[in-house]
Order: sequence, then structure tokens, then C-alpha cells
Amino acid sequence: MNVSKDLIAASATPLILAILKENDSYGYAIIKRVKEMSENELVWTEGMLYPVLHRLEDQMLIESYWSKSEAGRQRKYYRIKESGLKELELQKKQWEIVHSALSKTWSE
Amino acid sequence: MFDLEMQIHSWSDHLRARGNFTEADINELESHLREEIDDLISAGLTPDESFLISVKRLGNLDAISHEFAKVNTENLWKHLYIDPVDNVAKRQSNRDIALVVIFTLLAGTLIKIPELFGLGFNDPGADRFYLKNISLFILPFVAAFFLIKRKADRKTWSTFMVTFIIAALIINIYPSFSPYNTEILSSLHLPLLLWLIVGVAYTGREWQSSQGRMNFIRFTGEMVVYGVLVWAGVLVLGMFTMAIFGAIQVDAEKFLEDYYFIYGACAAVLITVYLVEAKKSIVENFAPILAKIFSPLFLVIMVSFLVVMIITGKSPFMEREFLIAFDLMLALVLGLVLYVISSRNNQQPPNLFDYLNLALIIIALIIDGVALSAILFRLSAFGITPNKLAALGENLILLGNLGGLAWLYVAYFKRKRDFINLEKWQTGYLYVYFIWTAIVAFIFPLLFGFY
Repeated sequence: MNVSKDLIAASATPLILAILKENDSYGYAIIKRVKEMSENELVWTEGMLYPVLHRLEDQMLIESYWSKSEAGRQRKYYRIKESGLKELELQKKQWEIVHSALSKTWSE
Repeated sequence: MFDLEMQIHSWSDHLRARGNFTEADINELESHLREEIDDLISAGLTPDESFLISVKRLGNLDAISHEFAKVNTENLWKHLYIDPVDNVAKRQSNRDIALVVIFTLLAGTLIKIPELFGLGFNDPGADRFYLKNISLFILPFVAAFFLIKRKADRKTWSTFMVTFIIAALIINIYPSFSPYNTEILSSLHLPLLLWLIVGVAYTGREWQSSQGRMNFIRFTGEMVVYGVLVWAGVLVLGMFTMAIFGAIQVDAEKFLEDYYFIYGACAAVLITVYLVEAKKSIVENFAPILAKIFSPLFLVIMVSFLVVMIITGKSPFMEREFLIAFDLMLALVLGLVLYVISSRNNQQPPNLFDYLNLALIIIALIIDGVALSAILFRLSAFGITPNKLAALGENLILLGNLGGLAWLYVAYFKRKRDFINLEKWQTGYLYVYFIWTAIVAFIFPLLFGFY
């Protein structure tokens, strides 16, 4: 099923933050992880992911550093910052509100 | 054989050409592409299959670059003084700036040296000496700047040095008698000739290719635009200095005249060279924009001139000054046409500006044809002088250039030829300018007995 563009955009920030909370990661791995977690329902494009990453970096929620992979390739890793963790908590609460409201209306 | 590395490089170059990405963005995306390719290869695909699929998955470049543009808004207002991305680039950029400073000091000092031998700016007879040599004081340094940047070998260096020295010797050894016609002609043509030689340094090994020479033409246009801006800055600073020191009754005029404007002029040239070289494709070129704004306006003026000329029945009055005016008209038209062409993609279908160009050329040819028929009559009636011959030669050469362009344009519109032929014609024609300026600078004085 295709998830609408608006929803993907809205959920991008909490998803990225949550993934980075698990451990530091880089663009390609993040896309794979999202695909995996959503059982192939959420397929992000690079054109969408990287601008979001860079915006989060501008907002000081995450930070980036270059590091070598095992194969010796340069990768740009992202790490979540203290403020990012706070933002994630905030987002979590907001999504929970939406989620509980939706589940109530749908279960009735 | 499928060369994966090359394909990846050309892909990232493609991104670079979009201009919406920073270098770090591109590295990141490239590393992403490589991850994807590696995964596919380990899943059993061949490198070329993996490359194709990965590029496809990365998505439409237009879409990506559009998304990135939203984030990198400051990137859209690009910085001319580019922040170097890595250490190598940083070192190179520092070196270039050091070169600009050193060469400015050298060129400025070189201009001051003749003063020690009693040939200061204000001494009698010095004006012609400086007019004659001014390009020799600066352009060799511009050439040297490019030779260093292009890592020229020793043979190239010596060729350039010998060329400049020979030019300097000839121009200064030639005697000159009143009314100095040939000397002034040489002085005017030598800078153009030397600029073309600088062009060889600029293009490096590519000077034989049409592409390389076209780049030099673009470079020249940007030089003019940026040079005027930088020079205006130098002037403003100079006037400001004068005014502010005037306020405390200190006369800065002597200092400004003797040092500031001399070194300022050298600095203006070299800074402009540095800026234009550094910015290259990073910022949209200015000369084509100006050309596109003014070519329709120019066309209107020329058409009305032609119409008025026909209605009133007045043929242009043929004095030398007017012939030079028509030379200028042709040169301007050529400039407009050239810079519209220079920003054009060869694969594009004909657009409005191409038709405008052709109209501009044809009108210019008609006006010039009328003018030429008048001058030829005068020339035969009053005999040849160096000035008339030079003006006439220039006119014929520009006419040949524009005529060729018009012909190729028509063939292009009829789909008999590709646009690339126009570019080749124009860049090939640089040789004609080279030869002609050399003739006027070096042969004319001999022909006319140095008068």
C-alpha cells in the first residue's frame, strides 16, 4: 500500500530520531532500516531522506561525522544529540495522542 | 568493458552540474549509491546491472536536486569566494591568493621601474611609451598565473617568455615618427594579440580544441563584467581616501596617483582573473545574461536606423571616425551574438534568441554593406593611410566572421548543419584575429615606414 506523501513527511522526523537513538547510522542504512521496520510498506527516497537529515542537523537535533566503513568507504554517519532525544520524546507524546484518538474512533 | 568507477564519477559530476548540492551532499549521495551497488552485486547482479538499478532507485535527479535546493537555500545565493571543501582545495586556493598578491606587487613595481630612468607618467613622451607597453606590464603575469595553475612544463614556460620578450623588443625597437599613426595602431592591437596569447595559457593543452577556445571566449566575457565591477570598487576606495584625508588637510592625491592607482589597476586585473577562474561554472555567467537583455534592444535601434536611412535617403557620411563607429557596431553585434551562443546547449532546438541573433547579424551586414561601399569609394579617391587600412581590415574581418555565422545559422535552421558547426567556426576564427592583430602590430609599421 502506498502511504501518502504528507504522512511520510510527517513521520520522517520521529522515525529518523528513533533509529538514531538505537545507534549511529548513515543514509543508506536508515532507508533499509525503515523498510525493514515497516515490512516494506514505507519506502523512502533519497531525495526525501537527505534533506530531512540535513534539516535536523541544522536544528541541532542530530550531528554528523565522516567515518570509514569496514570496506574502507567514507560514510557520513549521523548521531542523535541531547536535544534530539528531547524532541523524540515530544514527538512520541504527540503521536501517541493522535494514535489513541484514532484507535478510539476506529474501534467504536 | 563497463567501467563502474567512471560511471559513478560521471553520475556525481552530473549532480555537481546541477548546482543545488554542496560537495558534502554529493559525497554523501555517492557513498549511498555505492552501498546500493555493493548490495546488488553481492546479491548476484553484474556491475552494470547494479549501477543501472541503483541510479534508478536513487530516483530522478531533478526531484532530488529540487528537494536539496529547498534545504540549501543559501547555496542558491552562491558564494563567489568559495569555501574550499578539503585540504587540497584549501591549499590550492591559498596558493592562488598568494599568487595574486605577489603578481600584483611585481606588475605594479614593473610599471614604476621606468620612472627611475626618467620616464615617469608625467614626463614628456612617456604617454606613448606607457600606452605601448601597458599590456606588457600586466598580461605576462596573467599568463604566468595560468601556467602555474595548469602546471605547465618548462618548454611551455620558455615559449611564453620568449614570445612576450620578442613582442616587447619589437614594439620598443621600432622607431616612430610624427604623427605616430603606426605606433598608436601597434599600441592598440598589441593588447588584443597578447590577450589571445594569454588565452593559450588559459586553455592549456586544450587550446587546439573548439571547446577549450569557447571556454576562453566565455572567460573573456566574464573578465570584462567582473573587471568593470572590481575597477569601480578600486576607484570608489580611491576617491573615498582622497575625501577623508582632505578632511584633515592632508593631500593624498600624490600617493594615490603614484602608487594606489597603479597597484590598484594591477590588482584589479589579477583579482578579476582569480575570481573568474574560481567561479567558473559555479555561478551563472553574467555576459550571456547581459547579451540576452541587450540584443533585442540593439536590434530595435539598428532596424530603426536602417529604416530612417532609407526614408531620408541619407547615406552615412564616410569619415574615418564613422568607419570606426561601424567597426564598433559590428564588434558589439558579434559580442552579443557570441555570448548568447556561449551559454547555449548544443543539443537544444532553435529558440527565440537564435532567430534574434540571425536578424541582428543580417541587419548589421546590411548597414555595414552600405557603409563599406561608401568607404571604398573614398579610399580609392584619397589614397591609403595606415589608419584607414586598419579600420577597413577590421571591418572586413568582422564582416567575414558575422557572414559566416549568418550562413551557418541559416543552414542550422534548415537542419542542414548542427549547432556545433557555429561554435567551431567562431572558435576557429580566433586565428584570424590573432593573425590580423599581429600584422597590424608588427607589420604595419614596416609597411608604412613607421609614420
